[in-house]
Amino acid sequence: MPTTASVQTDGHPRRKGRPRVSETAAPSLVDILNLVRTEQATTRQEIERYSELGRAVVADRLGTLCELGLVDESELGTATGGRAPRLVRFSADRGRILVATLDQTALGVGIADLAGSLLMEHHEATELTQPVSALAERLVTLFRWILERQSNPQLYGISISVPGAVSDGGEALFQRATPGVLPGWESFPLVETLVAAFNAPVWLRSSVETMTMGELHAGAGRNQRTMLLVKVGKRIGAGLASDGTLFRGAQGTVGLIGSVPVTMGDRTGTLEAMAGSDHIAQDGRHAAENGASPVLAELVRRGGDITALEVAQAAQMGDAASIEILSQSGRLIGQVVATLANMLNPALIVLCGSIAQTNDILLASAREAIYGACHPLVSRDLQIIRSQMGSSSGLVGAAIVATEGLFAAPMLRDWVMSGQPQAHPLFQQMKNEIAQRKVIEGDIVRPPDM
Amino acid sequence: MAITGLGPHGERASAPERVLLLPEDMERARASGFRVAIVLHTLESDWAKQQLSGIVGTLGNCGVAVIDVVDCAFNPELQIEALERLTLEAPDAIISLPVANSKVAAPHTRVSAAGIKLVLLDNVPTGLLPGKDYISLVSADNFGLGKIAAEGLSPHLREGAEVGVLGYDADFFATNEREIAFVKWMQVNRPDVSLRVQRFPALSAVAATTRTLAEAHPELAGLFVVWDTPAMTAARVLETMGRKIPMTTVDLGQEAAIGLAANEPLMAIAAQQPFRQGETAASITVTALLGRLAPAWVALPGLAVTARNVVECFQTVWRMPAPHEVLRKLSLVGLKRSDRHLP
Repeated sequence: MPTTASVQTDGHPRRKGRPRVSETAAPSLVDILNLVRTEQATTRQEIERYSELGRAVVADRLGTLCELGLVDESELGTATGGRAPRLVRFSADRGRILVATLDQTALGVGIADLAGSLLMEHHEATELTQPVSALAERLVTLFRWILERQSNPQLYGISISVPGAVSDGGEALFQRATPGVLPGWESFPLVETLVAAFNAPVWLRSSVETMTMGELHAGAGRNQRTMLLVKVGKRIGAGLASDGTLFRGAQGTVGLIGSVPVTMGDRTGTLEAMAGSDHIAQDGRHAAENGASPVLAELVRRGGDITALEVAQAAQMGDAASIEILSQSGRLIGQVVATLANMLNPALIVLCGSIAQTNDILLASAREAIYGACHPLVSRDLQIIRSQMGSSSGLVGAAIVATEGLFAAPMLRDWVMSGQPQAHPLFQQMKNEIAQRKVIEGDIVRPPDM
Repeated sequence: MAITGLGPHGERASAPERVLLLPEDMERARASGFRVAIVLHTLESDWAKQQLSGIVGTLGNCGVAVIDVVDCAFNPELQIEALERLTLEAPDAIISLPVANSKVAAPHTRVSAAGIKLVLLDNVPTGLLPGKDYISLVSADNFGLGKIAAEGLSPHLREGAEVGVLGYDADFFATNEREIAFVKWMQVNRPDVSLRVQRFPALSAVAATTRTLAEAHPELAGLFVVWDTPAMTAARVLETMGRKIPMTTVDLGQEAAIGLAANEPLMAIAAQQPFRQGETAASITVTALLGRLAPAWVALPGLAVTARNVVECFQTVWRMPAPHEVLRKLSLVGLKRSDRHLP
């Protein structure tokens, strides 16, 4: 097994003199592995052509990658006259990625291969308002269960979709500390807990970002280069895929459209407050109280609770007041999204979130507003659809976030020689820091609780 | 009872009433002359027979012809073959219970790609999406079933007891949910209890897995098995080992009902309602065939059954009288009028 690459990053200067073999091999290994992984090259000849490396170097590097279990050359391709070429395939089964989605009312967990394909998933109801420590404990329990069910495979990474923007400057290789995504999170080391429990690098992204990635790679956005995803829930956010990749902006906080001010009649407020699921539920309750909605009034009379989903179901059944509530939300969302569409010229707009996915009325009125306010050149071939992936788009997207993070050149070149991301020097450093912190915390004598 | 679980992709459950068929729907369906095929995991079990009877009866009420009913005998190869053959016959819809996960995913995807409406029962192969690859999934609230089983076992467990969980070692939505829910309920409500999980890969391995579990944990004081057929096998194995352990399981099979009536070894059962699930699957199929929006996941609540309500629950679930043995164990037959104590 080759030794760990000693390529230094993050400001460490390179040594002078002739580089070691491991240093010169790493960049070509990265290039070749990514050509194979993305299926741009499937034979040795194609690798030589795309990488512009010599036959001997390609043979040597493929030998190393095969030895590391990251590439497989056992299959034969179709002959085109002479001997059938040996196919070079990425071994997506070499490792697994644990994925999770945390949103306001549900927790989803899953496991994916290194190509980002989801192999197993489970979703359960939860409350985000509970302490982060309880949430982390449940997450660890479910992760352990899923790993056990998969016969404890080698873990390459953990990727979590969280219900808020993850501001990290957009350039971190992986999460090296727990960001304050939500109030209370800064006081609990979620990332450090996961690293300590599973010994794998962690990625965090906002739910809108992971859903955008999921939709782009496995849903309606497949084969699209420019896509806008709009998530409608308690919060309203947007994700942008530009030129086939996720656009994260300067701070990793793209798409916070929920705070855009909108006006409806004599009322003004943020888009979230005027069109989000809390507003839909509140208007639904009013409609039940003042008798405008007989369906919702009947539900209340029987002791039922009105959430946005009940309003959506009532609208689907033809309840006039509920139809109006959802149409109004759809119109407001459509107006804001139209501005984005005029600016960004997407090929596809995907509406997701439980209300948008289960309700035709909100989608129809959003469509009407978007098409009505878009420049004819923007709306000519623009498709506006609802997501068909449900919460799976978040899990699939989280897996893609991890695979892209793992195999991004700046990350990969520092672990490829060992075949495992745990060998990355920054990850090693992070683990040492976590271990040291534990020792120090153990030494501190705390005063008794008063 | 409220639905406590989430669907295979995190969907919120829709109630069966969402797809209630009105007389005008039935009239329209009758005028359309639809053809539907059914592919089940087995036709041998009572559960499958009841579900089939719910499906066929409801489709009959709507004038929909059932052109084939396939028994896959739990065999993925047979299911793949059946789906490929049926896709060529081009029925308007296929109702299928996927017997495996990734193995049968592609043939199910090909069904919907061929323009045939696909309604799934109990399980969704990973990667298949509602609205795109299938219309709807109909299942029991399996998460709720696991909770009912845990709640039913808890009063029979002393403080600090060791409890076995016999799970199914296959990636199957229904059994996964039951196992997770049982374990979660115990961890939250009975943190004093230690859980020992073992999984059997096939029904033929249940006896050996039970023996391994019981031998490894001689102090085992409770057992949950993810459905009734393996539960009864486990009960027999434990009996031969001279172990009396209170048990709970899912599904009110005939043998399980007898065990429950005797309060030995079964203390509680979380029962599915296969007939209603069948009716619902048929209603969804007709809803989709009429071009109306169908919910991604329709779930039916489970019934909490103990010796006290086993007779009426058996009638509700199976639409037939409880077995004579059950009635006898509960002293509802074989007694003189004067011996009966009315409440």
